[in-house]
Amino acid sequence: MTTGRDTPAGRELLPVAGAARTRAAVRELLRPHRGRAALALVALVAGAAVSLLAAPLLGRIIDLVVTGAPPGAVTGPALALAAVAPAQGLLAVAGIALVARVGENVLAGLRERFVARALGLPLERIEAAGSGDLTSRVTADVSLVGEAVREAVPQFARSALVILLTLVALAVLDWRFLLAALLAVPIQALTARWYLRRSTPLYAEQRVIGGVQQQQLLDTVGGAATVRAFGLEAEHAERVRTRSEDVVDVALRVVRLQTAFFGRLNLAEYVGVAAVLTTGFLLVGAGTVSIGTASAAALYFINLFTPVNEVLFLLDTAQSAAASLARIVGVAGLRPEEGPAHPVRPVDAAVRVKGLGHHYLPGHDVLDGVDLDLRAGAQVALVGASGAGKTTLAKLVAGVHRPARGSVEIGGARLEEQGPDVVRETVALITQEVHVFAGPLGEDLRLARPDADDTALLAALDTVDALPWVRALPDGLATVVGTGGHALTVVQSQQLALARLVLADRPVAILDEATAEAGSAGSRALEAAARSALRGRTGLVVAHRLTQAAAADHVVVLDAGRVVEQGTHDDLVAAGGRYARLWDAWSASR
Amino acid sequence: MGVGNITGWRLLRASVGSQRRDVAVASVFLVGHQTGEALVPVLVGVVIDEAVRTGDARALTGWLLLLGLDFAVLSFSYRFGARRSWLADVRADQRLRLLVADRVLDPRGGAETGRLPGNLTTVAVADAKRVGIVNFALPLGLAAVAAAVVATVALLRISLPLGLLILLGTPPLLYLVHLLGKPLERRSGPEQERAAQAAGVAADLVAGVRVLKGIGAEPAAVRRYVGTSRAALAATLRATGAQAWYQGAVLAANGLFLALVALVGGRLAAQGEISVGGLVAAVGLAQFLITPLQIFGWVNGRLAQARASAARIAEVLSAAPAVATGPRPAPADPRGALRVRDLRHGPLDGLDLTVPAGELVGVVAPDPAAATALLRCLGREVDPEGGTVELDGVPLVEYAPRDARRAVLVAAHDAELFSGTLRDNVLAGAPPERDPVPAMAAAQADQVAAALPDGADTAVSEQGRSLSGGQRQRVALARALAADAPVLVLHDPTTAVDTVTEARIAAGVRALRRGRTTVAVTSSPALLAVTDRVVVLDGGRVRAEGTHAGLMDTDTAYRTTVLG
Repeated sequence: MTTGRDTPAGRELLPVAGAARTRAAVRELLRPHRGRAALALVALVAGAAVSLLAAPLLGRIIDLVVTGAPPGAVTGPALALAAVAPAQGLLAVAGIALVARVGENVLAGLRERFVARALGLPLERIEAAGSGDLTSRVTADVSLVGEAVREAVPQFARSALVILLTLVALAVLDWRFLLAALLAVPIQALTARWYLRRSTPLYAEQRVIGGVQQQQLLDTVGGAATVRAFGLEAEHAERVRTRSEDVVDVALRVVRLQTAFFGRLNLAEYVGVAAVLTTGFLLVGAGTVSIGTASAAALYFINLFTPVNEVLFLLDTAQSAAASLARIVGVAGLRPEEGPAHPVRPVDAAVRVKGLGHHYLPGHDVLDGVDLDLRAGAQVALVGASGAGKTTLAKLVAGVHRPARGSVEIGGARLEEQGPDVVRETVALITQEVHVFAGPLGEDLRLARPDADDTALLAALDTVDALPWVRALPDGLATVVGTGGHALTVVQSQQLALARLVLADRPVAILDEATAEAGSAGSRALEAAARSALRGRTGLVVAHRLTQAAAADHVVVLDAGRVVEQGTHDDLVAAGGRYARLWDAWSASR
Repeated sequence: MGVGNITGWRLLRASVGSQRRDVAVASVFLVGHQTGEALVPVLVGVVIDEAVRTGDARALTGWLLLLGLDFAVLSFSYRFGARRSWLADVRADQRLRLLVADRVLDPRGGAETGRLPGNLTTVAVADAKRVGIVNFALPLGLAAVAAAVVATVALLRISLPLGLLILLGTPPLLYLVHLLGKPLERRSGPEQERAAQAAGVAADLVAGVRVLKGIGAEPAAVRRYVGTSRAALAATLRATGAQAWYQGAVLAANGLFLALVALVGGRLAAQGEISVGGLVAAVGLAQFLITPLQIFGWVNGRLAQARASAARIAEVLSAAPAVATGPRPAPADPRGALRVRDLRHGPLDGLDLTVPAGELVGVVAPDPAAATALLRCLGREVDPEGGTVELDGVPLVEYAPRDARRAVLVAAHDAELFSGTLRDNVLAGAPPERDPVPAMAAAQADQVAAALPDGADTAVSEQGRSLSGGQRQRVALARALAADAPVLVLHDPTTAVDTVTEARIAAGVRALRRGRTTVAVTSSPALLAVTDRVVVLDGGRVRAEGTHAGLMDTDTAYRTTVLG
């Protein structure tokens, strides 16, 4: 929606809830707090009502003055005014606190449900939508709704109530004052409509342009070394300037819109004030109301300026918050993945692949007729060029995608028969994507096994050779790592991923590009760590370095989606085929 | 441009000075606006006195017209004042952002020393914005002064004692409010942080969703998130409780003050000291005065923030350059003979290395720090602590950094891609009119293009994060090859690609760079196999050299390094 990201064709964005579904979801979340919500409403209404006592009391003082009462007579209404103040304050305390309590509880419920559903989505679904969609919902949308609940909703509620009750109070003074005040309403309504039509797309554009600028600065500043290496300084300075000018441009359009908005509201204010004063003039002249009442009406109306401006200005926030809410509810309302009624459990860790074929676009096979037979505990390396189908094969075996043809069996049970919950306990998949979870290192590892004690964590780290550097960290396992914490190197992050694999302790493990991007020295350290982590499991490794293949029990060579050779490293080298030529090139004159 | 000693204060003054016309015009308009606002309650009082009380219809028409004029003035003043001050704000903000970008991009480097890239971006965006806002805050502050003055004069004219009561009473009232808010400020800081943390944890878990799914850790992650979310909820509720008490107290204090004004004003009116309209105006002004005084507080806060931000920007702008610039003109058509003489930098301890023009040399450095030090010296990212790097017999430090880099291109292992299409990226450093195809083929980046929806026209986003590591690496290599530098230094260009592709890339690089000086700092056997000669470093110097095949046969340590 507002992200500047390109959406390649075929992207299937996650659902957005309709208005009715969104309302139903909010009602459901509100239900446990409805008692408190009712109390909040009572407190807000009472607070607004009490605050309206001020104007008639001032009117009473004016009337006393006009009728020539002695100075002492003023004391009574003034004391009443003084009594209104703390009552108004206390009711505001109750109202604000209760509204916040309800709002925050609903918000917490919503975000928890969202995260649970988001993490429960099938990986295939997330990849179809692109993880950017999910990330922008969990960050931008949740925080937008949060801000609205925290700031806009209470202010909006209070202002709206003040307006409503002021209008009632004006009517109580004399119904003609209400009529006069309502003269401002058409102008305000037209202004609001005029503003909302322009503001929503303009603010969306402002966010996009701001994001583009931020991205450009990250590009240029983050890549400064690359910019200098290629002598691109002038070009990048120009790019930053252009982006920055776009930001200035849109900011000026925003301020023009806002000032025009307030300008129109000024007109409404003037029309209203003039009408109320004129009404007062006529009614006082006719002897229908006192000067005090006319003054009270004028004071009422002047005090409406601020709440009216607030309510109308907040309409825009309300509109964007509603859009964000619909995007959150869209995910939070998804049904969790369903498995078979009676999941079959695997009997061992043997993997059998039969006639496996797959395509992402109909007619474009990426994998065809693949047969594999891995005995429990075997270490198998997949070798092949980019696009040969290694990653697809790895994902099919891990149960990420459902194969188009053929089947994957683990421990004698097909993956469909096992269902997602059992597959999750059977196969682990480590991809190139390294992510270190923000927080203490120990907590990161415990995601893999929540009940593990420190000894178990240290043992797992030792298995993958990470113990020396973990011990050297400032606070050991308690060291805060990840975003905003102690920065880990790529090799350390990958070792962490392998340690999680050890802790998760699944009988079958699949490593895809797990050692890429670590630099040559790092790759070797990781290869050793991966070998230890896979010990005792059936391992399927997408090999990037042929040393990984040489160390495996079995090598499978893929080309254009088919298995072209398989066997032990030595057999394949002796056979003098494709693998042997690769090995020669790799090991030169070995 | 600003390398040198710039203080935050001077930067702040220059930032306002650069937009002084707009700031001045905006001040005039906003003073007009606030004066108009202050006059509204006064005029309403007059209408009640002169028209409602007397029943004089002509007076009503006249004063209402004047009130209309006041509204017109305040509305238009606000419109033009706000636009001008906003313009001054965003222009100053932009000016600072560009200054920071220019400093970061200075060929001599040095701005990013000791900083994370995210931190510099924050300086360029958030800090620049905080300094720019001064141009918005200053006119607003001046207008608030004007409003306070107008209200004061009006109040004193209505009644000296009542005016003094309001004028002397308002500052203590605001001070009281400030005191009430103080503990809230202290409490809400860390508590808001807790709330923000919950959002951070959610984003972090979602970002790592593939990792979680890979090991079946989703249930554990959800349980953890619920814990964080509940803790954040408790913290937020404590903060909102404090917030509610604060707002309630402000309302109550305000109301009590109003009652006091009504009491004193009412008695004065009853004694005939002031008129009824005067009483209405005084009550209205007492309410109005709070706004300008609150603006003072806001302006003060912005100024304090702006000073801190200006200091951070000044620090970036005055960062010392990482390398000196040289006196010589750019080398004309260099042959590309590279010579490293007695180089001492970091772990390098007297490194000597000669690469004749046109040779393809492999450098194997078992210590990654030594490789980095050598690459930084070759790319003139730093000036060596000792010794020289010479191109065709001339030390690189004698050239301007840009000219040196144009002759000796160091393609870093973690080079960033930029937004634009894949083709734009490949041609980024290339001479004009260059055909990207041979470089892309040599780097196997044509395979990357073939796998993308729009081929080489596919947009690359977020520093290439839309591509996989292997794809990114191949595009970066194609860019380095397309630049056609007289000397090309490649650092680990194939760590993220598979073995089959790596072998093809090695052959492609060999063919494309024939006759051009190329140095490959790597331990990839596929790449080393296509070099003319391999140099092995150890202890900061050359330990061995020979052909890859020869070293594989005779040098066990080399074999272990390369094959693992």
